[in-house]
Amino acid sequence: MKYFPYGKAAFSILVLAVLSGGWLLSNPPPEHKATLTYWTFAKPHYESYVQILPKFEREHPGVTVDLELVSNNALTARLQSAMLANLDVPDLFEVEIGSAATLFRGPTNDIGLVDLNPRLHAPGPDGAPSLWDRVVQARFASYTDRGHIYGLPHDVHPLQLAYRRDIFAKAGVDVTKIKTWDDFIKVGHKMTIPGKQYMIELSDSDSTSIEPLLFQRGGGYFDANGQVILDNETAVQTMCWYVPLVAGPHKIANSVGFFNQVEANAIEDGYMLCYMCPDWNSKNFENNDAHVTGKMGLMPLPTAVPGGRATSTWGGTMIGLTKHSSNPDLAWQLAMFFYLDKSTVPDRFRTTNILPPVKDFWTLPAFHEKRAYWDGQRLGDSYARLAPDVPPHYSSPVIQTATDKLGQALVDCVGYYNSHGYDERGDARFEAYVRARLKASADQIRAMIKRNPY
Amino acid sequence: MSHVPAPRSNRGYSSQHRAAPYLFVSPFLLLFAVFGLWPILHSLIMAFYATNGPKSQVFVGWKNFQFLFADPDFHTAVWNTLVYTFWSVFLQLPLALGLAVLLNQKWLKGRDFLRLAFFSPNLLGQVFVAILFSVLFAPTYGLINKALHFLFGVAVDTKWLSEPALVMPAIVLTSLWLYVGFNMIYFLAALQAVDTELYEAAEADGANAWQKFWAVTLPGIRPVAVFVLVTATIGSFQLFELPYIMLNNTAGPNNSGLTVVMYLYNNGFITGDLGYASAVGWTLAVGVLIVSLIQMRVTGTWKGSDK
Repeated sequence: MKYFPYGKAAFSILVLAVLSGGWLLSNPPPEHKATLTYWTFAKPHYESYVQILPKFEREHPGVTVDLELVSNNALTARLQSAMLANLDVPDLFEVEIGSAATLFRGPTNDIGLVDLNPRLHAPGPDGAPSLWDRVVQARFASYTDRGHIYGLPHDVHPLQLAYRRDIFAKAGVDVTKIKTWDDFIKVGHKMTIPGKQYMIELSDSDSTSIEPLLFQRGGGYFDANGQVILDNETAVQTMCWYVPLVAGPHKIANSVGFFNQVEANAIEDGYMLCYMCPDWNSKNFENNDAHVTGKMGLMPLPTAVPGGRATSTWGGTMIGLTKHSSNPDLAWQLAMFFYLDKSTVPDRFRTTNILPPVKDFWTLPAFHEKRAYWDGQRLGDSYARLAPDVPPHYSSPVIQTATDKLGQALVDCVGYYNSHGYDERGDARFEAYVRARLKASADQIRAMIKRNPY
Repeated sequence: MSHVPAPRSNRGYSSQHRAAPYLFVSPFLLLFAVFGLWPILHSLIMAFYATNGPKSQVFVGWKNFQFLFADPDFHTAVWNTLVYTFWSVFLQLPLALGLAVLLNQKWLKGRDFLRLAFFSPNLLGQVFVAILFSVLFAPTYGLINKALHFLFGVAVDTKWLSEPALVMPAIVLTSLWLYVGFNMIYFLAALQAVDTELYEAAEADGANAWQKFWAVTLPGIRPVAVFVLVTATIGSFQLFELPYIMLNNTAGPNNSGLTVVMYLYNNGFITGDLGYASAVGWTLAVGVLIVSLIQMRVTGTWKGSDK
């Protein structure tokens, strides 16, 4: 160590540092070469896109597409970070409906998404109607902010009830006669055996189940102008109607949760007779509860009033085009290719059960096929019939807070109902409590919006 | 004839020696300044801005902090975090110490295996444990309810994760399973470092087991116990993944599982207001600092009296 007085160890570290630094400098990470980048969080979407992507690349020589499957939880944060740093922002992305509106914060000019209005209203090729006229328009509600449309709906997600056909048949219940929620509740009182069998899975601790039922009755968190309506009369009456279903001595609903083995067990054991079932969840049943093949049925949602809306909506995915795209026209072509390529629609529907929002696709034979799992019911038809009637789901950048606040109000109302009781003919005290509680929740959301200086 | 190095000037050699330590720590300092110090300082600046989306920032002065301290959700988050911290300190640490004392006994057969067994939950990671326990706590079909029903007649459809009053006990129970073994290892190492001659002297003086524990063991492991106490408290204030995953990416019914870090995450990364989230972060940091200082004062490490 003649020329290096700090010893061998320090010299070794220095050599390692110089060598590794030199290696990194001489081997920079490969440049991002794909022409377009597309992020999706849904594996079924990813798998169907992968299959048809080569066709798009063949039709557009020299164009390559980098399709990435990104975790749903990470996607919004990653997208916001990418936009903040202006680094690796995808051209196109898909985001879950509950997170979409968080991307619409701030002044309109600063929103990192392209307003799709002109493209949606442009006439289709060869005199075909515009995309706006081909898609279920209520589905744009969640992706519209201050008159700008920032997303294409990937789906419609109409809501039905999945039920144990065999158990109802054995009990002599004709489910086709259940038209309204009043009919449903009457049957529910007959079929429910506390602790052993419940008419329907409904949550008493979060907004998962009450949200679509609020939409069904024309309510929601926000109106079309982004004003909070969580404490309006529709919300109050929905809460007053819902709570006795999940609480008190006459409850007909219980909650064991969704999406896991517990749900499968509850269905197989007949612990739960009905589940709220948007199109995507029907595939979960098929995949997870094979033991009840042929024993399941689907029926429209009972209506709030005779002749009312027999469906609602639950969940959704937005397709967005970012302002950072260096070739937005080409990106739009890719989005349209995924969206409108008829050749893959049948297979995509069979593998996901998700009804596409483009109405003219619903006439394809795949949507009229009988399904053995649902005892020969035509699953596609049953959802397509209801799809034009799905309610709008207006959103806001504070949608997550609003969802939480509805859940908290529900928990408190359930607690009040359990501790104070409730007269089935209508208890003014309970209604007053519900009204005050919802107002408190709505005021908290309003305070959050007010904090926004724009 | 051996080679004799030419004499160097004392002044040059001395300045080289003075510069050498700084030279060696400079890579770290540089990286820390860019990726540690600057983000910390930037977050302090951001705490006084309302941020909207990727670009827009508006200076709002102390309004973020005013809103924060008036927000009932923040109050809930602080309360939940304090409750969790309380149980972490007053349940988890005594249990860990008890286990360590037990597994330090030479007469115990299979103690190496038991040490590994009690520590092993920590190898799984919080996310996996949270998923595991969310299934175990499931109503009607969950193993915990079935066991409690079999043993004590507890209702089999008890909703651990959707009944507000039961959410925190469920989280505390899960964290006990996860962390007791981990903290036990620290105590075990400390116990093994206690001078055995002190025990012999105590025995010679006629001390019983409790007196030996109180007068010899506890003072002997005090530095480690203080360390575990402070780190467990800080860790408890940072609680996030466990409730977030157990409660299916939510704060649980009526915010019963909302913690301060979850509140920060929801505002920063779900709602997208990084300025407000920075205000939450700084409030949390100051809170943790105050609690840690109080703990050090109470335990006597403030003045280094444990030396």
